[in-house]
Amino acid sequence: MVRANRYLQDVWDTLKSTVVGMRITGKYLLRKPITVQYPDERLPIPDRYRGIHYLEQEKCIDCLACARACPIDCIEMDAIRHGKELAWVSFTLDYQKCMFCELCVYPCPKDCIHMGTEFALVVEDRSELKFDLLSFQGMSPDARVRKREAEEKKKVKDAEKAAKAAEKAATENGDGAKS
Amino acid sequence: MIQEQAGAVLGHPVHPDSNVFVRILEWLPLPEIIPGWVVTFGGVMLGMSIFLAVMSVLVMFCVWMERKVSGHIQCRTGPMYAGGWHGWAQSLADGVKLLLKEDMIPKDADRTLFWIAPAIVLGSIFGAMVAFPLSYDWWFGRMDLGVFAILALSSTTTIGVVMAGWASASKWSLYGAMREAAQVVAYEIPLGLSLLAPLFVLGTFSLTEASAMQSGWFGMKWAIFTNPFLIPAFLIYVVSALAETKRAPFDLPEAESELVAGFMTEYSGIRWSFFFFEEYAAMLLMSVLGAFFWFGGFESPLTGALRASGMEDTSLVFSLVCFGTVLFKGFVGIFLMMWLRWTLPRVRIDQVMTMGYKYLTPLALFCVLGAASWEALQHLIFS
Repeated sequence: MVRANRYLQDVWDTLKSTVVGMRITGKYLLRKPITVQYPDERLPIPDRYRGIHYLEQEKCIDCLACARACPIDCIEMDAIRHGKELAWVSFTLDYQKCMFCELCVYPCPKDCIHMGTEFALVVEDRSELKFDLLSFQGMSPDARVRKREAEEKKKVKDAEKAAKAAEKAATENGDGAKS
Repeated sequence: MIQEQAGAVLGHPVHPDSNVFVRILEWLPLPEIIPGWVVTFGGVMLGMSIFLAVMSVLVMFCVWMERKVSGHIQCRTGPMYAGGWHGWAQSLADGVKLLLKEDMIPKDADRTLFWIAPAIVLGSIFGAMVAFPLSYDWWFGRMDLGVFAILALSSTTTIGVVMAGWASASKWSLYGAMREAAQVVAYEIPLGLSLLAPLFVLGTFSLTEASAMQSGWFGMKWAIFTNPFLIPAFLIYVVSALAETKRAPFDLPEAESELVAGFMTEYSGIRWSFFFFEEYAAMLLMSVLGAFFWFGGFESPLTGALRASGMEDTSLVFSLVCFGTVLFKGFVGIFLMMWLRWTLPRVRIDQVMTMGYKYLTPLALFCVLGAASWEALQHLIFS
């Protein structure tokens, strides 16, 4: 009798677990897929992501602070100075060595070298890994546009905030004067 | 005699024994000089080629559907690029790729058997498909013992699989083939027994007639609704059909995580695609067979409505509706099999054997007894 019970229990358990499992997979079948069609659409990359660098060439003053900060000496730069004008010769970063430590970004006095959001780095030869940051910008174009937009928005917001603060301060001061 | 019976059930005479394509050729205004046997032969040939083309398209659709279903179950999207709309041409592209691939034969392989095996596998499934009627009026080979023919021919696949495994001169292949042999021997029994239960209810081996027997209740007098013992019988049928078609969770002969690709490890290119083709064709076969004996075959509320509106069973529109209905039911079955595949993990070989011999076979016997007793009781009470 016990064995018969166990037999029927086995049958019941199998059926039940199958139904439970199918309910779970059925739920997943009906929900929206979480993957995206990668090259066509991309998930947003966090702002602090350390991808390929990008350089704001016009701000850079050729001070070599980043090259000195680099623990593995992968940044090399060369420029000719004509008074206040800078004529760039090269600004290369060797991605065979670079470990994306971001130490080059902090010492920059002009805040012109940044870690970009581009990560898909594919080349056909090792020598191509020595990137010229003057011609190559590590951010994908749309990411750059996004960043610029975000900065503009932030500027507007800051201005608004400042205006509001000033207004508030003014009214508070006024109130203070009254009382 | 069975034709007369079917005619009596349907209320109209059933067309005499003739392939639907032979009938098409006979209907065409052909010159008198052509002898009759040429017309018959031509009709059979035409039927075969159209049948092969239609089956290929259906199988390709199945493969695409499998990839989509598996993708969505895993929260992916599946193929999206080939052909544009949701990767509809993915199977076509794969087919072209497989055709162009090198067809290799291992050095130690038994060449003859290695060549014959895929043909046997594919041929047996297509042979079994011939026994299916396309509607009340259309068929290839009209068989009064259709179920026997289908079961016999579809289990011939095993011979091809064992042959492929043996001829490959590879341990993986041989393991796969041995597992297939053990599995199919174990699951043929519950499959046959579970099919016996609806045979008791419907009282016929012919698929056309089985469908005709379920034509009452506005097209909803499906066998599964008329006898409670058919519900467990259907569950047993589903499990054994999964094992017969080597589908997960019973895909031990293939077992890609253990045996690379099981019995088809050494096959490549178009020969490999024959095995792949066979798997999906077998799924379609098992689903449609289940649809015929449990879920009304050609019968649905739609056919019921058409019949109520006074349409003849032999008319063109009705035949098309019948064909569409049975295909739709088949695809629902295939979807169920895919859903199960992406839900359950693969079972061990000893678990497969235990399930087949200790659980499914006795339960199938119980269902057969129950179904038969229920029918006998009904007969006693209502007559």
